[in-house]
Amino acid sequence: MNLTPEDITRFLIAISVMLFAAKVFGELMRLIKQPSVVGEILAGIILGPTVFGTIAPDMFNAIFTNSKSTDIAIDGITNLAVIMLLLVSGLEVNLSLVFKQGKTALYTSVIGMVFPFAIGFLAAYFFPEFLGIKDPSLTLIFALFVGTALSITALPVVARTLMDLNIFKTQIGFLIIASAMFNDLIGWLVFSFILGMLGQSGHGFDISIIVTSTLVFIAFMLIIGRKIFNRIIPFIQNKTTYPGGILNFIFILGFLGAAFTEYIGIHAIFGAFIVGIAIGDSAHLKEQTREMVQQFVTNIFAPLFFVSIGLRVNFITSFDFMIVLIFVVLAFAGKVIGCGLGAYWGGMKKDEALAIGFGMNSRGAMEIVLGILALQAGLIHERVFVALVIMALVTSLSSAPFMSYFIKRFKNSIDINSLLRPDLVFFTNSDSKESVIEELIRKLSERYKLDYTYIKSEVMKRESIISTGLGNHLALPHAKIKISEVHFAIAVSKEGINFESLDEKPAKIIILLLTPFDHPELQLRLISEISKKFKDEESVKELIESGDINNFITNFKAL
Amino acid sequence: MFKKIGLAVTFSPNSMALLKETKVYSEQFGSEVIFIHVGSKNDAIENRLLELISNSGFNPESIHIVWGEGEPAKVINAKCKENNVDLLIAGALEKEKMIKYYLGSVARKLMRDPYCSLFILTEPSVEPKPFKKISVQVDYSYESEILVNIAYQIALREKSTEICLIREYEVPGLAITVYDTGSTDETEKKRKVWHCEETEKMDVFISELNLTGIDVKGICLYGKEGWEANNFVKKNGSDLLIMSAPSKKLSFIDRFFQHNEEFIFKELPCSILLIK
Repeated sequence: MNLTPEDITRFLIAISVMLFAAKVFGELMRLIKQPSVVGEILAGIILGPTVFGTIAPDMFNAIFTNSKSTDIAIDGITNLAVIMLLLVSGLEVNLSLVFKQGKTALYTSVIGMVFPFAIGFLAAYFFPEFLGIKDPSLTLIFALFVGTALSITALPVVARTLMDLNIFKTQIGFLIIASAMFNDLIGWLVFSFILGMLGQSGHGFDISIIVTSTLVFIAFMLIIGRKIFNRIIPFIQNKTTYPGGILNFIFILGFLGAAFTEYIGIHAIFGAFIVGIAIGDSAHLKEQTREMVQQFVTNIFAPLFFVSIGLRVNFITSFDFMIVLIFVVLAFAGKVIGCGLGAYWGGMKKDEALAIGFGMNSRGAMEIVLGILALQAGLIHERVFVALVIMALVTSLSSAPFMSYFIKRFKNSIDINSLLRPDLVFFTNSDSKESVIEELIRKLSERYKLDYTYIKSEVMKRESIISTGLGNHLALPHAKIKISEVHFAIAVSKEGINFESLDEKPAKIIILLLTPFDHPELQLRLISEISKKFKDEESVKELIESGDINNFITNFKAL
Repeated sequence: MFKKIGLAVTFSPNSMALLKETKVYSEQFGSEVIFIHVGSKNDAIENRLLELISNSGFNPESIHIVWGEGEPAKVINAKCKENNVDLLIAGALEKEKMIKYYLGSVARKLMRDPYCSLFILTEPSVEPKPFKKISVQVDYSYESEILVNIAYQIALREKSTEICLIREYEVPGLAITVYDTGSTDETEKKRKVWHCEETEKMDVFISELNLTGIDVKGICLYGKEGWEANNFVKKNGSDLLIMSAPSKKLSFIDRFFQHNEEFIFKELPCSILLIK
């Protein structure tokens, strides 16, 4: 079947309208600090039968549904988009990070998958009609699907949230990302087997052949394939035109991997995902290349896919409040409790564990990919698909605020301004370095019941290496000691004390900083943060001239 | 710094060079030396060993050879443990053939599971040369401070011109945030902010150590731990890299899913001092 000039025109208009709407709504969502994928899905719902198709059915049909050839072309592009989405998802899975994060990541991801999977599976197995099963003879597969749908986490939304909350480059950020990566890997593996069990893909191979081929494929790609790609990538990056050569290489391999898994009977997405992991693991692959691949896929293909979802389904006629409610409740309960407990048992504190639980709760685009594939495979009803989309939106939108709430509760303990206690800021009449340090230690020892002698010996030991007079009237005596939280006190000297600063200015603000011995990086960060506060001479002058303690604290926080 | 040095001695072409190097370090550190030979003991071999060792300049009266039979790396580690050795010196090829890398040569096996600190010399010489540039892999921990202090002691003794502290950091999954914005501007900005933070921390770390009399540089690299350090050391021309010994025995899995130490062990950029 050839496309007529009319089909091509219609196809190009449809694509343009979809891209335009996706961009407009995506940007609007970014303006209100929400994932752009939410905007893209909304664009689809507005362009599709739910809104545009109801208001202007003729125009909707003329653009999107009048030609079978155009439908096939759009369907082809959206399928390609899903494969590309999984390929780029795989590129970012860092198996070494998962190993490195150790016990906590393992507990978080495994319990965070098993628990939601279990409650989803049990609910769907024993009460399939409540969850909108399409074909009662497929109860087991439906239950497996619901379990998987509830246990998946959207890596892109998680990454975005971590970035927005400024905790990407922190221990908790690494832990969440590592757990989400592991979750992705297992989730897609299980889901691909479910699709294989449905017999929707491939050439009708026996399930034992499908399982064996899949395992061989995974082992080959992650052991031998990885090594081969790692050797080829530097050659391609250096000897072919950049970035054309490497982009070609990544997509060719991704499509070949997808073709292979489609052939053996598990979905094409899984092949692309595994190839992505194998390529992404290469230390030679430039960060710039990864970002370029992301840009390429997410600016063109991903929006087309997400808009196309709204074009396929009428969200009003297929809306079933009970199913939506059940999915949303199960999703929250499964992930927040599962991941939260996993993180807690893995050694995190309560607030940290809850932050991780809500962070891992976002389903985002991945849930929708999963849902649309299940819908295409005839496993679920449109009502269930709509419930999944709404659940994905609700979990993604709520992830950042909940996470932010719990993160703020424990982040306070490492923020210098929030550590400031009025009773630990005082004016001093001490006239020597040693006496002011003693005064500061006494204050902290009394306040936090610390061992005065031990602290003094540690602080003076540090002071003997090199003076902590940092210049611009600041002295920062400090020590790493056996405590669990950061403590600090400030003495203000109107006269100034000689701290042997390089700029020879007397120290007028003396800050004693005590940090936990097992968090050396925290001490460096706080010293650097405090030093930066004292760079501007005018502000420091104003601070020194603060009339009373309250004024001083206000000025200090404003530095 | 090191009270007792162990040297695995064989009749390989590098033996004399390793003996000469060991002699220099034992004098520098004021350490006692024991020689470990893996193989069955008999008079002929013992006499050949004694001759070899004394020809390298060690006093024949004080040569102490310990013998052991079995898998070489295991025997060497066991003898180090029995004799309270705190620094083992060994030679190693910069790069092993692929099969040998995965199966493990004696030197690689020692690196992956050292009993004590391990000094791996990639180009031992019968006329030992001092290390001109020393690099240290740091993560700001207490152990890193120990590594830097050892580097400093060696640098002063060897009259090195530079100590370079390497800090590697990476934020896996960062590229995926491009997914949401479709732009690389934000990731680029974020990387710059993180780089500034790391540089500031490195500056504080260096000033806290107060190492005088030598040029100490700090370098912060974005990328995979071990991989970046290896590339930097090669480019920078350092002739000694000091790093922490693996915290647990590295297994076959670590060679497949390479990380930090394995990126360095795969192709040694220069001589390595693993501190345990």
